Amino acid sequence: MNKNQLIAFRYLLIILVTIVYIFPFLWMVSNSFMSDKNIFSVPPKFIPDLLFSDTMFQNYKDVFTKYNFGRYTFNSLWVYSLAAFGQILVCSFAGFALAKMKFRGQGVIFSLLLVTLMIPVQVTIIPEYYLFLRLNWLDTYLPLIIPSFLAGAFGTFMLREFFSQVPSPLFDAGIIDGVNAYQMFRLIYLPQASGPIATLFIIAFMNNWNDLLRPMLYLSDRKLYTVTVALSQFQNQYDVKWNLLLAGSVLSVLPLLTVFAFCQRYIIQNTMSSGIKG
Amino acid sequence: MKKKLLAILLVLLVISTLFAAGTKEAAVTDKEIVLDWWTWDPDMVEQNKTIMATFEAENPGVKINNTMVGTAEYWTKIRIQANQNRLPDVFTMSSGYLEEWAKAGLLYNLDGFIEKDDTFDVFYKSIFDTNKATSGTDSYYAIPFALVTTVLYYNKDAFDAAGLAYPTNDWTWDEFKSAARKLTIDTNKDGKIDQWGYWFYGRYAHIEPWVFGNNGYLVDNKTMRFAPDKNAMDAIKMLTDLVLVDKVAPAQRDMTSFKQQDVFPQGVAAMWIDGSWFVDILRKNLGDDMRWGMAKVPTGPNGSKDMTYGWPDSYAIAPNTKNPEMAWKFARYVAGEGIDLDVYMAGKIPSAKKLAEDPLFADPKKQPGTDMNLLIEQAAGPMKNSYTMGWSEWRGYGGSETLGLNGTIDAIVNGHSSFEDAFNKGTKNINSVLTRYYK
Amino acid sequence: MAGVSYKWHGKLTPWLFILPTVIGLLVFRLVPIVSSFYLSFTDWSLLGSPAFLKLGNYKELFGSREFLTIILNTFQFSCIYVVGSIVLGLALATLINVQFKGVSFFRAAIYLPVVTSAVAVGIVWNWMLGPTYGVINNIISAVGLTPPYWLGDMKLSLNTVAFVQVWKMSGYYMILFLAGLQNIPSETLEAARVDGANPVQSFFRITLPMLLPTVFFVLTIAIIDSFKNFELIYAMTKGGPGNSSNTLVYDVYLNAFVYYRVGFASAIAYILLIFVGLLTIGNLYIRKHYAQPLD
Repeated sequence: MNKNQLIAFRYLLIILVTIVYIFPFLWMVSNSFMSDKNIFSVPPKFIPDLLFSDTMFQNYKDVFTKYNFGRYTFNSLWVYSLAAFGQILVCSFAGFALAKMKFRGQGVIFSLLLVTLMIPVQVTIIPEYYLFLRLNWLDTYLPLIIPSFLAGAFGTFMLREFFSQVPSPLFDAGIIDGVNAYQMFRLIYLPQASGPIATLFIIAFMNNWNDLLRPMLYLSDRKLYTVTVALSQFQNQYDVKWNLLLAGSVLSVLPLLTVFAFCQRYIIQNTMSSGIKG
Repeated sequence: MKKKLLAILLVLLVISTLFAAGTKEAAVTDKEIVLDWWTWDPDMVEQNKTIMATFEAENPGVKINNTMVGTAEYWTKIRIQANQNRLPDVFTMSSGYLEEWAKAGLLYNLDGFIEKDDTFDVFYKSIFDTNKATSGTDSYYAIPFALVTTVLYYNKDAFDAAGLAYPTNDWTWDEFKSAARKLTIDTNKDGKIDQWGYWFYGRYAHIEPWVFGNNGYLVDNKTMRFAPDKNAMDAIKMLTDLVLVDKVAPAQRDMTSFKQQDVFPQGVAAMWIDGSWFVDILRKNLGDDMRWGMAKVPTGPNGSKDMTYGWPDSYAIAPNTKNPEMAWKFARYVAGEGIDLDVYMAGKIPSAKKLAEDPLFADPKKQPGTDMNLLIEQAAGPMKNSYTMGWSEWRGYGGSETLGLNGTIDAIVNGHSSFEDAFNKGTKNINSVLTRYYK
Repeated sequence: MAGVSYKWHGKLTPWLFILPTVIGLLVFRLVPIVSSFYLSFTDWSLLGSPAFLKLGNYKELFGSREFLTIILNTFQFSCIYVVGSIVLGLALATLINVQFKGVSFFRAAIYLPVVTSAVAVGIVWNWMLGPTYGVINNIISAVGLTPPYWLGDMKLSLNTVAFVQVWKMSGYYMILFLAGLQNIPSETLEAARVDGANPVQSFFRITLPMLLPTVFFVLTIAIIDSFKNFELIYAMTKGGPGNSSNTLVYDVYLNAFVYYRVGFASAIAYILLIFVGLLTIGNLYIRKHYAQPLD
């Protein structure tokens, strides 16, 4: 195959793959324009019945007006942006220290971080609940934000790996210039890390955004609900309002995609080679 | 620049924690009584506000706080409240947990109130007695507000097309099977059945009605072990034969892409037995697209006509409530006296007689019309259910639906296991659970 | 890390950097974890206080045939997930590592299932994999083969759910690998191309070796994530039929939130933790001794 054929083949593959990945989301969007009774019909109805009708956006309208979805989206957005930002702060400092500094107990701390990463939330949620009960943080956003400003296992792990691989010439140059630890971190290493930091922001934001168990247990006041809790309200004891649940699910994906689209150009910047040349 | 950013962030953080602290209650005066009321139905939030406002207007000096906890987390949260000795004054209690909570001393004993109460016959006493039996004690611990039973739903259009008479409340198993045969149809002759006569799987609301309708039992009440009697086993065998022998019902694994409650409304099965609350859901989803009716679950050869499989949802009162009298008054109010019929999902039977006997309960303008009177007969008569402690574990329900007795029966109809093997294994597993709760 | 043989920072400086992490670790992570460990030796239904049981829970687990099935399922799921995620994530990252106008759209499309709720993903796949009316089985029948029961067959259910989980999360691993691919200097690849290497050769001889640290990082994360499959199992099969798609995490959920045996669930969780821990330590050991990052 010559070069052009290869390129064409590559683009074709990208398009095929995209179709496979986007298909379920399209199904969700399509069904969010259906009335409840037609959603799981057999044989499947592919053309949504509400599309192009007078009540086309009825599901979305209901989700916003009757179920206050706008408020919940706003809640999720600022709580989790704050949490993700906290993660960037704390993980970059900790990751740098673990990667480049020598101190007693760094192995222990790193191992402990890994241990916390391994434990699924269902395991520790009940003791965690009691902890927040004692701290009197229930029915506030504190349990959702404060831990993110203190420790982040995944982020620290990722940034530690990244900082370990920054080529030594940069480090040696810093030593020669006589920088202190904070300057080394801030002026030399941190600028290299825009890619991983943006990645971390996406991941921290996304993991928290989709968390259902914590906001559900810790928040009682309906005004504080996040998007995931709001979505779970579409199920009651006997029935699920699929039309609203799907409309809500579509809406809840949009902020995540926006964050992703915004951050992913930082991931792609080719930072390393420019660092070495200088 | 970075320091400024950090400073702004810190300020934001502090501010956010201040106003994000949720609404704490306003200061309460000495004379005011505050009752906490916990419910689990998200659809009822607005209606609850009206109910509370009316009660507060009639009882000055009383304030009610309603906390609606979503269904999925209700039980975890309320158990934690119980653990902290901070149960709300009035809270929803289900039949499934009544025994465990009553025996753990977590529910206020209502005997005193009921004895002193001379307007008590506004309620169906039989429903209260069902609660007493379920609790495994000799006292009343919960006020039922809604009863649900199980009924036979049938597709009138399908019956008409097959030229069959509609089911009656006196149907026998044979009449049922014969109708199911004629209703199992391959409309386009492609080898795939397009309409089944009946549909079920191991679900409690699909199996128990037949067992109790044949006067059988699943758990021996004296030994508290899983030991279904011959009547029960006959019923279950009849059902599994519907799939394996008579071929009038599909196996559970053929239906994994359906939500179980969609099978009947979509016309994939012409008959279906499940909870009476589906009247509400069928009305909303079907409207007039399909004509359907409701009848009594066919009685087995050894069954008695008036036995029903049903269970109430109730309100209970915290054992350490500071205001027992007012809590009882409010609980009675929301259990039937102060509410309207439209608070109830259609098909749920109010425990207050005046609501159940309201002509709109069996509204002839809405399906299934006067068939609904069956529910009132059932409410007034004897009732049984299969609840015990540890029920969700041994029965298989919700997240554990593929296990327990539910899983055992599914294994039979799916062909994974023979009837005898499945029940041998299942009985052992179920009894290991029951042994833990009933030594 | 070559070059530094002396401390270039004050003694206390690292602690300033790591203080929030240590506090957070102790208070918000270790306290619940240690409590859970204690709970695993008790019987607790949340009502009343935990009753101390000594080894009762662990004895019950090790005597249970179902538990062995669940452990094996967990491992099987993990293997499929780890291998699938790395291969698919790397393949996707390589495929999409091009610059053209609109490439962000395609990257976002592949990332889409990662951020879509597991409930929605489970419903859609459940519907597509339906035995009689599902799209996939219709295609299989049309070709003349007998379509299998993807979710209703005890031998297939676990693999099917694992496959859907790999598909769902592949976009996540794609961006992790994409970040790693950015660190490979384009000059090196350009030089190789000039020397006559074809894409396959340059991938295996240049890209992959330089990517090894990223691969090990992703491998560690994938191993840890492979055990977190609760939501999809709940949405698709609820652990069934029988226990055929039940894994340790789902069993923890069942025991903690359905049966309310919180002590027993904690015991299951600790066994899970031991397995994940062993695998992760094994991974780190291999990496330390066999794959040094290139300098």
